[in-house]
Amino acid sequence: MRRPVVAALVPLWLSGAAAWSAPITFNTALPVHEGGWVLREIYLKLADDPTPARREMRVAGVVSVLGYGLTRDLALFGMLPWFDKRLDMRAGAAEGRRDARGFGDLGVVGRYTVLERNAPGRTFRVAPFVGVKAPSGRDDARDRRGRLPPPLQPGSGTWDVLGGVVATWQTLDVQLDAQASYQANGEAHDFQAGDVARLDGSLQYRLWPRRLAGGVPAFLYGVLEANLGHAARDRIGGDRDPDSGGTTLFVSPGLQYVTRKWIAEAGVQIRVVQNLNGAALGHDYGVSAGFRINF
Amino acid sequence: MMDVKTAGRRFAAAASLVVSLLLAASGAHAQATYRIHVDGLACPFCAYGIEKKLSAVEGVARVETDIASGTVAVTMSGEATLDEATARRAVKEAGFSLRGFEALAPVPSGGVAK
Repeated sequence: MRRPVVAALVPLWLSGAAAWSAPITFNTALPVHEGGWVLREIYLKLADDPTPARREMRVAGVVSVLGYGLTRDLALFGMLPWFDKRLDMRAGAAEGRRDARGFGDLGVVGRYTVLERNAPGRTFRVAPFVGVKAPSGRDDARDRRGRLPPPLQPGSGTWDVLGGVVATWQTLDVQLDAQASYQANGEAHDFQAGDVARLDGSLQYRLWPRRLAGGVPAFLYGVLEANLGHAARDRIGGDRDPDSGGTTLFVSPGLQYVTRKWIAEAGVQIRVVQNLNGAALGHDYGVSAGFRINF
Repeated sequence: MMDVKTAGRRFAAAASLVVSLLLAASGAHAQATYRIHVDGLACPFCAYGIEKKLSAVEGVARVETDIASGTVAVTMSGEATLDEATARRAVKEAGFSLRGFEALAPVPSGGVAK
């Protein structure tokens, strides 16, 4: 069994940091007010293409995110996912289902705004971020066939680090976000997931209300996001796994309803390009829905 | 001849008028009001931070944001007043920039509005 959807799960803890009015699948540079808290809950479901071996993996998860504005420029985000992972093999000697569920790894991301240009009804910001993911999740789940392979474990068992930069240009009508990030993965149980590099872009357009009157009306945004990711080959026992890693491009349309106190959102991640190494499992589609609360 | 009910109603109206005139004369109900112009405010979720920060300022009774114009109206309670430096700090802590600060309503005697 190879590493099927680890690369696809990377956006999960990146999007977790996007606790403000922001893209659905990744981060934003918009401010978190000093002393302010925000809670985000994300439900997502990922599915892989059946391969010639007729393997199919499905991952459902709920990610809880708590963000805090330590200062006006420095925001911290803590993320704790819960996963339900299932792998179905419908051909060969390994036919059957293997599954695991439980809490994943705890992640912490710090984001610092280094550039800010404000004008009436608009803002432009740039914010680098760094994060660390601790091996807090369960990584020794077993079934009758023995220890489950790493991709099926709720936790990775490794310390992973993440760094990147996000830029946001927001007006009353539209919002553009762009992000570049890199995640370096550690090794556990003779398995090291390949590092992941990502480029993300997002366009949010205010669909309603068409004209702004007084006060603070709720906004309905149409969201279109693109996620380009490249995962390096995994290492098993120090050797590169030829059936792992590759490049994928997803387009993610969605809707976001934004009020002063809360946001409700949903999006679908659609595969556009998938160039994988060997017989690595592909990523078919993803669905995410969630809400965020200001307090 | 007036009945008791009508007399009572007239007395209440007169008393209300007298109290209003006394309050107006003393300036006690003339709450200071300010309009703050904020740069960088472009979504409803962001407005919450500014309103929370300004509401935490001592003496602030009401905060109303108009996102289209990027302005926040602040009404003070009693004889409390707001100065520009305090407003600027609150807006900055919310993650935005203060562009302008206007005193709209008469500032109570002894109060300072910059």
